[in-house]
Parts: sequence; structure tokens; C-alpha cells
Amino acid sequence: MKMRKPRSQSTLPRTNPQSSFGRRDFLRLLLSGLAEGASELSKATFGNPLPVPLFREVAEEVGLKFHHFTGAIGEFYMPEIMGAGVALFDYDNDGDLDVYLIQGTTFDPAQDPRRTKFPPATGWKPGNRLFKNLLSETGKLQFVDVTEKAGVGHIGYGMGVAVGDYDNDGLQDLYVTNFGHNVLYHNNGDGTFTDVTAKAGVDDARWSASAAWVDYDRDGHLDLFVANYLDFTVKGNKRCFAPTGERDYCTPKMYQPAPARLFHNRGDGTFEEVTEAAGIGAALGPGLGVVCADFNGDGWPDIYVANDGAAAHLWINQRNGTFKETSLLAGTAYSADGLPQAGMGVTAGDFDGDGDEDIFKTNLTNEGANLYVNDGRGKFYDASAEFGLLLPTFPYTGFGTEWIDYDNDSRLDLFIANGAVNRIESLRGKPYPFGQPNQLFHNEGEGKKFREMTSVAGPAFALTEVSRGAAFGDIDNDGAIDIVVANNNGPARLLLNQSRSLNRNHWLLVRLEASHGNRFAMGATIEVRLRGRKLLRRAHTDSSYLSANDIRVHFGLGEDAKIEELMVKWPDGKHESWDKIQADRFVTIRQGSGKAVSTQG
Amino acid sequence: MWKRLSLLFLPLLAFACSTFGAQGPSSVPELPWLTLDNFSPGIREQIDEAYSFARSHAEDAVASGRLGMVLQTYGLLQQAAVCYRRAMQLEPNSFQWAYYWGAVEADQGHCDTAASTLRLALRIDPTYFPAKLRLANCLLASAVWDASERLFAEIAEQHPDNADAYYGLGRVRAARRDPAGASEAYRKATELFPDYGAAHYALALTYRTLGKADQAEEQLRLYEKNKIAVPPSGDPLLAEVRALNHSATYQVQYGAELERQGKLEESAAAHEKAIEIDPNLVQAHINLIELYGRLGRFQKAEEHYKAAVRIDSGSAESYYNYGVLLLSAEEYARAEEAFRKTIEINPFHAGAHNNLGYLLERQGNFPEAETEYRKAIENKPGDRQAHFNLGRILVNQKKFQEGIQELRKTIEPEDENTPRYVYALGAAFARAGDRQNALRYIRQARDVAAARGQSTLLVSIERDLHTLEASGTPQ
Repeated sequence: MKMRKPRSQSTLPRTNPQSSFGRRDFLRLLLSGLAEGASELSKATFGNPLPVPLFREVAEEVGLKFHHFTGAIGEFYMPEIMGAGVALFDYDNDGDLDVYLIQGTTFDPAQDPRRTKFPPATGWKPGNRLFKNLLSETGKLQFVDVTEKAGVGHIGYGMGVAVGDYDNDGLQDLYVTNFGHNVLYHNNGDGTFTDVTAKAGVDDARWSASAAWVDYDRDGHLDLFVANYLDFTVKGNKRCFAPTGERDYCTPKMYQPAPARLFHNRGDGTFEEVTEAAGIGAALGPGLGVVCADFNGDGWPDIYVANDGAAAHLWINQRNGTFKETSLLAGTAYSADGLPQAGMGVTAGDFDGDGDEDIFKTNLTNEGANLYVNDGRGKFYDASAEFGLLLPTFPYTGFGTEWIDYDNDSRLDLFIANGAVNRIESLRGKPYPFGQPNQLFHNEGEGKKFREMTSVAGPAFALTEVSRGAAFGDIDNDGAIDIVVANNNGPARLLLNQSRSLNRNHWLLVRLEASHGNRFAMGATIEVRLRGRKLLRRAHTDSSYLSANDIRVHFGLGEDAKIEELMVKWPDGKHESWDKIQADRFVTIRQGSGKAVSTQG
Repeated sequence: MWKRLSLLFLPLLAFACSTFGAQGPSSVPELPWLTLDNFSPGIREQIDEAYSFARSHAEDAVASGRLGMVLQTYGLLQQAAVCYRRAMQLEPNSFQWAYYWGAVEADQGHCDTAASTLRLALRIDPTYFPAKLRLANCLLASAVWDASERLFAEIAEQHPDNADAYYGLGRVRAARRDPAGASEAYRKATELFPDYGAAHYALALTYRTLGKADQAEEQLRLYEKNKIAVPPSGDPLLAEVRALNHSATYQVQYGAELERQGKLEESAAAHEKAIEIDPNLVQAHINLIELYGRLGRFQKAEEHYKAAVRIDSGSAESYYNYGVLLLSAEEYARAEEAFRKTIEINPFHAGAHNNLGYLLERQGNFPEAETEYRKAIENKPGDRQAHFNLGRILVNQKKFQEGIQELRKTIEPEDENTPRYVYALGAAFARAGDRQNALRYIRQARDVAAARGQSTLLVSIERDLHTLEASGTPQ
């Protein structure tokens, strides 16, 4: 039943006061209207002074053609609304970033995809897709689908992907998480991958979400942490309703959380499940986002897990193979008022330049995001209001997110991929009423609120899609960080950063090579010293949501091209420095090629 | 010249008209456009009725405002805001519409609009302190520290028993890096409302900042006991909005809240009301299985189980709750069937695996029981009861080392179950022939049981301890 539209105001008996104005009044009003109009015009011009948009969406243009398929048939199965992720990694070591996109499928293998609520387009191929970047070969940004050749087109209800070189052969491998069995793909180095899940012993049949490679025991082999979400099963699907009585997706509170998993790498291609032994089983939560970093500054990687609708977990490495969950007292479990929030995407970075890792977590609409500022010792306070991030994020449900210096001014900015999980009132009647715009925030400097740049970032930020995963890296090797966004039931988007044409800020992109084990130095931190300033960044592929980022470490240097010193804290605890690094280039830093730095005093 | 001027004026006129339309005095907004197709029938009827009344009483502020209230109670905040704005235009001196408008804007995070509207409301009626609290909270969210602090302080002065005001004051002071001032305010909030979970949590973090670790831990313990408890809102206007919610899901949520407060009878009543509104709301039936089970009303529980599986034969929870009910009634065969059905639907259900394991153990089927306990642990690694069960069954099968390893996992954290877990660990050591550890843990169990006043268990522990000490031989 549709409500009849109300009658026009013109039928109201109330007299419109304007109708009694005389000519003189009219002229006065005309002039005042002009004045106001003029000021609006100048405001509009001032608000959008950029000659080119900050980011330009080019996915189709460069051959990155991918549309996510949810398999929805109208039963509101929870996995439908949660996926999926994307990875940016150089699978063939040719110096440019390739893209791996995660795909959904039907829940019933016998279901014809064409008879689902949102059938795929003609010519659609099921399964995850790997797109090879031809930039290094041709000099032009262009992608080609190499999935079949590579053998990574797993067909499952895909959720996320983690990238890491688990066997230290210098090639990045893939761990794919599913609603259902997960998959470990070993990179063979010849453009192909092999499914080694069973051999490695890293499967988990539960609903897995984000995963992260982390050498938690610093033995040179990447271990694997898998966040699992809920004990949802298709058979046990519950019917949930919006406050208006309409059918809608359930909240995570309708199910039980599934335990996370920690797999210890034995160094021989196999893993041992050590969840309980490592203490990870001591706390349970519906895990979605994961980021690994040294949060308490003791040189050992810790693990932060965003749990949906429950306390987040901060697993502090005890340096003996075990972890202790400390989120409550650390101040990272809840919002500033002690309430559990959704918790989907998460990222860690030194946004305030004080030398420690701060955490940003995205949440549900009407919750606002969290900005947990680190005091340097692993104790945090939620400063999202203080830094102007609470209210702007309040209307949105955030997923993939990352600290990136998009304009190379040396300060870490913020990108958030948004998309609702429950129908949006204003989109009622649309076939997929969950779309929201993504957001970009500029770091204005010490102690200042972030400035939202969404409205001037370009038409790509006016798209209202159901964004989920987001991966970050320099896709066109121009020194500026680009973004690939994975949209639920929508096309993948490639946001090409155009800020290099708007400023002359300097940059540096660093690839690390460890000398023994953990070849890509996952978890290493790099400190770049400029005149009077220090920039701290971390080599990682994890964080965001269900996604994997470029392992290369990006620095925006601002106007200062003089790098006084670059210091690396390697995952094995050793420190080295280099003093002849030049800006505006890609550098590979090999462990052992620098000057050893004492860590005492 | 006039011709030139008119040529100049005409385009300017066109431009100005277009801007004037946007910039001119506010006109009464139209009623919002709504699509109610998929709303549940009762809610649709309620909204339709309010809408029709508002439409037929187009100049009646109360009619528009009432529609806004109905929309607000069902979460349609944007549309509610339009109705309140309309009501305010029609009745500019009404505090109620201004307050409601401010409230829904605040709920959507539109603090700029909310702040100005709430200020307007407070000019009409400065005494309604929930409006002040909302305004203060909006200013806090906007990081307008001075104004927010002034307002919280003003509320605290005018209403010295208002815990929320002190809590808000604490939050402002914490944001300003004044932990001492913050802790003072939070302490006051918890004195006024001892169950104020959020205030205990905030106080814990403040003590942490001040280096008072013990006090921080104490506050965290208090927080864990009352995580989501907040002081009563004392907001009769919003209570009126809530009272308009006639949906079944609202009754279930209300019932769940009552259950959390330990009010089982009231919770059951709320769930029964939900079923009156929507007999097919399966979650209400599922919850009632558990509630009536805990209230000892087996028959009522069974009725709701049958209703639940009739509505949704794929509900793992229905079978599980029924299984627990049957287990407590010692109907073991039927309980086993219910748990197996649960697992068939949800193989990851830790509780079902654990309980099935217990039933198999009772039958003497230890290998299968052990398998079930292990599955329970696999799906809920921190489940002490499952570790305890597994440990016990391993010890009973003389797999002492494995059993002891499992039982060790049960002795922390310290709570009311700890005495019996520690006792079991001691007993396992005794059976394994390790007298030293046996004595150590059984003595520890005695001490902890005594501290907790568990007299029945204490008797049993002391008896065994006496035997062990006297004989010097393994039990």
C-alpha cells in the first residue's frame, strides 16, 4: 500500500506572506537575494578549488572489470551483505601491483545464478579473479584477467584475502577466506599458484573474515591469524526484521561468535594450530577486521581484532609464544562511553607523528568511528570527537579503511569505504537500498580536526555503492597511493590518485628485503628523518577489511626532499640506517646493507 | 539607460528568484512521502492512521507532531524530523516539537541542527533537563568542550542527583586531559547510580591514566557486572514516543532487557505480548522456551518449543533450548535427540556438543563423549565447563596427563566455579599418584570454597583432604 502524496501547499488556506509585498519590498528582497546568492557562489567556488579531482575512477577503462555476485535469493542470508575483499600485490614480481578480487556464489550449488535476485551479467565467470597489471611491460596502466592461467579462481562464498610470503621464496602467496572452507594458494613463481591448503593444514570450515600474516614469534616464518565471524549456517538462517516489521538482515547478536584461529608456521610448508596454546582461545568475538602492529613498543607484533557488536580484542604478544587479551584496560574495546560497537574495518598508523601506532576502527550507522590514540605504551583513548571524525562518520556504516598520505604532505590521511548492512530509509523502494558514499579525510596537522574532503575528491566519491573491502597501493607507480574498492553486489572500483598533478610534494616508496626469513619484512617499521621531523611507517599487507595492501612502504615527504636518514627496525629486532636515500623514487632496502644501529639507550 | 538596466536586471532577476526561493523565509514543509508496502500490517495501519489524521488536519501542529512520534518510534527518523519541523512551523512556541526534532537530529548525528533546535526548545522551556543533556552530549560529540562542560555543570548544579550530568562532565574533562577532574566526576556518577556501567568503565580508564592499577581493575570488575546499565532517562516525552511502539520485535527487545535485569516473569510477559502481536515471531517462542524452563514451567516451555519448530523447523536454537529443558527434567533420551538435531542444523554449536557429550558420558560411551567435548572446545576454546568435562572424562579413562592438562585450563579466572574446578584438578593429581600436587590443589580448593561460603562443597573437600593427608596414599 502506498501512502497518497499530500496535497500541494498551494491549497492551504494560510496566506502566503510574500504575496503582500510591494514593488519596493520586492526590489529590496531581490538585492538581498542577489547578495546571498553571490556569497553562495563564492563559497561554492572556494569549497571546490581543485582543477582536477583528487581521485579518478578508472576500473573499466583499464580493464579491471569485475562485478560482485551475492547469490541472494531473498532469504537474507547474512554472508550476502558482508563481502567481499580485494588484494593489491605483485604476484609476478615485475614491479607493478596486480589485483585479486574475491567473488561470491550461490548458497545452493544447484541454484542457477541467473535465477537469483541479482543475476550476474552475460559472460560473467564465477570464482575469484586475478588481474595482471601490464604497466611494467607496456608502460601503460592496463589489466588483463589471468585467473585461469594462474589457477586462483576458487569458487566459493568468498570473503577476504591475506597476502604474505609464508615460505620465504620471495613470492607473495594468498590465503583466501570463505564462508566455508578457506584456501591457501602457494605462488609457484611462474605465473601459477597451487592450492596447498590441506598440506599446509590451514583450513577452517567456519565463516572466516579477515586474515593476517604475522611472524608473531619472530622466527622468520610468517604465521597466520584468521578472524572468524559467526556460527551462522544456511540451514539455521534466522528471520530478522527492521523496526518497521520488514524483513532485513540479522544483526550479529542473533548468532554466536566463532573463535579466531592462530596457525604457527613450522617453516616446512606446514602449520600447527596453536589457538589455545597461544591463549587466543581465551576470548571470543565475532571477528571481522584484523591489524597486526607493535602497539606497546616492545618490538613484538601484537594483534588487534575488530569484533562486530562486541568488545574488540587487543592481543598483546607476551614474547613467549602466547598472547594476552588487554583491550578493556587498554581502552580499545569499546566506544568512549563503554558501549560495544559494530567494528568492521580497522587500520593502524602513526597519524599524529608521535612515533606509535594509533588505531582507527569503522562502525555501524549511528555509531561513529573510533580513533584510538596510543600513548606510546599500548594504552589508548578514543579521540574521534576531538579530531572531528565522530560526527562525519555517524551517518555511515564503514568497512575498508586505511591511513594513507594521499597528497604526500607527510601526514597520514584517512579513507573509508562505506555501505550499509540494513536498508536505508531514503533508498526505500530501490532494488538494493544499502548504498552510501565513501569518505576521504585530510589530516590538518598536530592537534587539529581532520577535514572532510569527500565533496571535492571527485565524482568517484559521489558514487553511492555498497563498499566493503579496500586495498591501497601505488598502482601506477607515480608515487601516490591509489585505492581499489570492492563493492558488494557491485563493480570493483579503481580510484587513481591524481594529487601529484595538484602539488609538488615529494615522496618515497620503499620495498624491504630481510636477510633471513620473513623475506618482505612484514611488520618492519621504517622511520624517515626529515629536517626536524620523523615519519614512522610500517610494512604490512593487513588491515582494512577482508583485504590486503601493497607491502611497499609509502612516505609522503611534503615540500622537503631532503631525507636526512632512513632507519629500519627489522622484524628480528635489528636496526639499521641509511643516510643517502633520495626522494621521489622507488628504493629497495636490503637488510645488512645499512649501518647497524644500537638499540641500547 | 533604462533599457540597459532592464537587460541587466532580467537575468539577475531570474537568478535571484532561483536563489530567493532557496534563501527566503521558511515555509511549512509538506508531510513526508512514505512507502509502507513491506511494513508489518499493524505498524502500517498505525502509521496510516496517523498520516491520514495529519493530512486531514493540515494546520494542526499536534497532528503533524503525532505523526512524527509514530515515525520516530519505528526508526524512521528522517521522516519524523520533517513532521516535527512542520509541527514547529505551525506551533512555534511548542517545546515538545522542538525537543523531538532536536532529539531525532541528534540521533542521526546531525549535531549542528540538533544543537540549534535544542537551544530553541530550551528557550521555550529551560527546565526540561533531558533536553539540556542531549544538547550537552551533542556539544561533546562536536568537541565543543567549553559549552559542553558549562552545560553539564549547570545540570549537575540544578539536579545534583543526576548521574548523567556528572558522567558527561567526566567525559569533557577526560577529553581535556584532566584525569583527576574526570575521575572525580565519574566517581560521583557511580555514587549516584552504582550500576552505571559506562561510568565505571570510564573511571577505570581514568585510573589507568593516573597509574592507579588496582583501582582501575576494581572499576573494570564493576563495569563487567553492569555493562549496559544506565540511569533511568527521566525523559517522559521520549517515553511517550516509545510507548507508541506496538511492534512485536520491540516487545522481544524489551523482554530481553528485562531478562538481563533478572526479571524473568516480566520478561516472559513481554514475550507473550510479542506473540499476541505476531504469533509467528519465532524468536519470541525460542526465548520463552528458556524463560519458562528457568521458571520451572515445563509445560509452557514445551508449548513454545512446539510452536517454534512449527514456524521454523530450521531453528537450531529451538532444539537447543528444548534440549536444555529436557536435560533439566532428566528426560535424557529426548534431550539427546534435541541436541543432535541442533548439531545437524548448526555443526558449530558448542553448547549442543558439550551437552551431548555429557549425555553420552552418562551412558558410558566415553570415546564419543570425548569427541563431543573436543568439538565443544574447538568451537568455544575458552569454555571452562567443556574443558572440565573433557578433563574429567580423560581422567576417568586413566589418561591422567591429558586430563590434568585440560583441568588446568579451568582454574582461571577466579569465580564461583573455581573451587570445584580446582578440587577436580587436585583429585586428578591424586588419582595420577602425584600426592604433592594433589594436596596443593585440594588445599587451594578448600580455601577458595571457604572464602566463597560454599559449605556443601567444603565438606566434601575437607573429607577428601583429610583422607589424603592421613593415608599418604593416592585415592
